[in-house]
Amino acid sequence: MLLTLDLSDARPLHEQVAGAIRRAISDGSYGPGDRLPSARDLADALGINANTVLRALRELRDEGLLEFRRGRGVSVVGQADGRALLVQRAHELLTEARRYGYSRADLIKILEELQ
Amino acid sequence: MTHRLVGAIWGLIVLATLALLPLAVRDRLPEPLATHWGNGPDRSTAFTSHLVISVLLWLLPWAVMMGFALHGRMAERRMSRAYWWGFLFGVGVLVVGVELSILHANLDRPSWTGAELPVWSMPVVLGASLVAGVLAGYLGRGAADQPSPAGEEVPRLRLRPGQRSVWISRLVNHWLVAVAVASSIVVLASAVMSMRMGAPAGIVGVLILATAIALFASLFTSITARITDNGLAIAFGPFGWPVRRIKLSKIERAWSETRRPSQVGGWGLRGVPGSATIMLRGGECLVIRYRSGGQLVISIDDARRGAALLNALIEGGRSDDQPVHTSLHPDR
Repeated sequence: MLLTLDLSDARPLHEQVAGAIRRAISDGSYGPGDRLPSARDLADALGINANTVLRALRELRDEGLLEFRRGRGVSVVGQADGRALLVQRAHELLTEARRYGYSRADLIKILEELQ
Repeated sequence: MTHRLVGAIWGLIVLATLALLPLAVRDRLPEPLATHWGNGPDRSTAFTSHLVISVLLWLLPWAVMMGFALHGRMAERRMSRAYWWGFLFGVGVLVVGVELSILHANLDRPSWTGAELPVWSMPVVLGASLVAGVLAGYLGRGAADQPSPAGEEVPRLRLRPGQRSVWISRLVNHWLVAVAVASSIVVLASAVMSMRMGAPAGIVGVLILATAIALFASLFTSITARITDNGLAIAFGPFGWPVRRIKLSKIERAWSETRRPSQVGGWGLRGVPGSATIMLRGGECLVIRYRSGGQLVISIDDARRGAALLNALIEGGRSDDQPVHTSLHPDR
């Protein structure tokens, strides 16, 4: 599972982690039925607190993407919700735009120009 | 080319020593010869059989090594060159050393029962062959391996400044777990049985050994691989311990490949340092090429993404030396 965090992202860390996992699942690296690495392993790799990862996993469970099972850990049940994924990508797009000096309004203008 | 010629000459020198030296001193040797020592000499062999055996003990490994040199691709990689030279010279010195110490022990003795093997002779022979092997491997290792030819497909990933990417993958082989659990139960059951039946003293050692083997085997039932800015970390076994860490600076590149247990000689940790495989199941494997020329293969899911991240991190680390990589954000 490839997870990417943006260091300049202003959102809370657990939201970012949830976003990174959502994207990894939508990339196809994990499909329905696959088990996720443990929260502790994920936290170790990302260098963050395990509770933050657990909070992100719970968010994704409430979204219907993950399933928690005793003794089997966390596994993928569904496909990423389209809207949640779009919001996630839009966030990344906005961060990227700001990096190049474009404001939110500039980005909206660009989107409106799209056919 | 050189290795075939030197290997052939060296083999003939060893062969000549093993064949001619005993013949040269035959008049001064007892018949039969003492060839094995426990508390004093405890086994004897007729002169001719001893000659044939010692020559064969060299001919076989020499033939195998020459076979590798003639037909194999051993000369292509630095690691295999070093092992080839090391083995050829180490074994050569070992067989000559053993022959010399046997001849010396038997020399001018009226009967084989009087032959005395000095205590120091075996450690000296073993030490000398080890030194010869390591030295030959070092001298024969040759130039470092060529960097990967351009155009060869290596998975890549674009990392943007200000991003932090990690990759993590876990693999469990359930039937290996079952085998490890079953064998532990057998070991435990035989331990309890032998305690109750008043076992002979030797059995305790056997059981301790069996337990150690079962514990070692259980390390290769599951692995967790993790790639971060620090490099690759592989955690073994159900408890994620021990952990093998490989720094980014030691890795030249990575890719994914399909490997099967039949190709590497079974399951578990296979091969020699510098060319090892951690094989838990056949299929997708992450392959790491070290800068030193060695290689490590790890059976793991999602290896392609892992390799891509590893290559991106290595490349990022390289370009950090030049001021190309500015992570200045205009919005900060």
